[in-house]
Amino acid sequence: MLKRASASLFTFAILALVLISFARPNQAGDRIMLAGSTTVLPIVEAASEIYNSEHPGERVLVQGGGSSAGIEAGVTGAANIGMSSRDLKPGEKKLGLTDIPVAVDAIAVIVNNKNSVEKLTKDQVRKVYSGEITNWKELGGLDEEIILVNRDEASGTREAFAKKIMKNSSFAKGAVIQPGSGQVRSIVSTTPGGIGYISLGYVTKDVKAIALDGVEPTVESIAAKRYGLMRTLHFLVKGEQKASVKSFIEFMLSDRVQREIVSKEFLPIKVVTGKS
Amino acid sequence: MSARILRKVFLFCALTAVVSVVLIFIFVAVKGAPIFATAGFTRLFFSMNWDPLKGNFGMLPFIVGSFIVTLGALVLGAPLAIGTAIFLSEIAHDRIKRFIRPSVELLAGIPSVIYGFFGIILLVPLSRMLFGGSGFGLATAWIVLAIMILPTIAAISEDAISAVPPVYRMGSLALGATRWQTIKRVVIPTAMPGIVNAVVLGMGRAIGETMAVLMVLGNAPSVPKSVASPASTLTSAIALDMSYASGVHQTALFAMGLILLAVSMVLITVVRVWSGRVGR
Repeated sequence: MLKRASASLFTFAILALVLISFARPNQAGDRIMLAGSTTVLPIVEAASEIYNSEHPGERVLVQGGGSSAGIEAGVTGAANIGMSSRDLKPGEKKLGLTDIPVAVDAIAVIVNNKNSVEKLTKDQVRKVYSGEITNWKELGGLDEEIILVNRDEASGTREAFAKKIMKNSSFAKGAVIQPGSGQVRSIVSTTPGGIGYISLGYVTKDVKAIALDGVEPTVESIAAKRYGLMRTLHFLVKGEQKASVKSFIEFMLSDRVQREIVSKEFLPIKVVTGKS
Repeated sequence: MSARILRKVFLFCALTAVVSVVLIFIFVAVKGAPIFATAGFTRLFFSMNWDPLKGNFGMLPFIVGSFIVTLGALVLGAPLAIGTAIFLSEIAHDRIKRFIRPSVELLAGIPSVIYGFFGIILLVPLSRMLFGGSGFGLATAWIVLAIMILPTIAAISEDAISAVPPVYRMGSLALGATRWQTIKRVVIPTAMPGIVNAVVLGMGRAIGETMAVLMVLGNAPSVPKSVASPASTLTSAIALDMSYASGVHQTALFAMGLILLAVSMVLITVVRVWSGRVGR
């Protein structure tokens, strides 16, 4: 009886050991941790796959969590690099973070394909989202109610939109709120009176991107800095980092990654800043 | 010796539930309580202004939303469910029963995220066609929830109706009452406590449902103006904000959880008191 009990205890201990050894992170090799914005996440993941295969001794680990979480992780050192799709707020600028822009994104205001409205001014968009304008006929469209689609408060896209368009106005409370750009696009594509805003990388044929102040959101208009609703995607690092982290940042900014990965979703940073 | 150990083991199993309930209550209360001191009762419960990033935590839109959504689901779902129960226990032949009962039971086992899909794919376009708007809103949530609570109410009501002694029915029929008169005047009044119990439990499920509601209700932090308007409930608001909330905002979410807990406790108490009184 006792023997059997001790035998099963022994088996249990072995099992536990095996589990623990699985759970423990691989200490061998140099780890580079990134965390934050889910907008930036896809390009970093794609770049990290190439980087990992070319640098066998190093390991790039990427996780989401949102821009605010990314900035926080950069400050506390929970990640070597924080990713953010919004600029630092005044309070956050004092925390000793180095801001490294990695790409430029445009936010497109989208409407249903059946909508006859082709362009709006920033002021009109603000009035639509604050609830002052509620019918498309006030904007030169058909007599149809405007269905507002908004993002949740954790969204960096919402943050950027609020800053660039809403200024001091508040969002209308009656808007449909969705937790992702894909859902916003899906609702606008099926709702005749719908309006939403999403990252340019998410725009497809299912919806119509509106010209803002007369400028259509295209790679060309962003490059020329003519489109009025742009934002920079950032890497944020604190203090002096180890060589592997610097090397990954360099890799991210290299012509190859910017051309092969970044330009598929966003605008490469060099086109905008003119740096070489 | 082994009997004593077994006793301990089973006692431990039973205590798990008690400890969990107590721990949940304590943690939610401790985490949620500070906001009552900082924001004040009135600014929490009687304010329409929910703007957490600016420090406004008016929860009234969510409380009203939960109430309207649950009420609508009950109005649609309860008659449907009770009708199903009456059909199954009083009217249906065995062959039809064998077909319908498993369907109702299957409905109870479908995960709520699937109900959400069903809502988005089928009911959202339907609601958009019938009532206008985006389709994400009250009407859609009502229908989804009505279907979700149907199996709960139907199963418990059927038990209650089946428990009515056959002699009651025979007596009624022998007095010359028709089948319908018997159901209406004898069977349903006798089974009433069980049916009420079923409806209250269905209500509990509707109030607590999160995922399906989050997917189809539109999540606007405002009191809906029409059946097509988007709205939020306590549960959907907590689920949407929990991923990023910190500080006072997080405390506010715990306070909303506390309200939910209190409401479900009241519901359970009502059921216990009611069924205890009638059973005596």
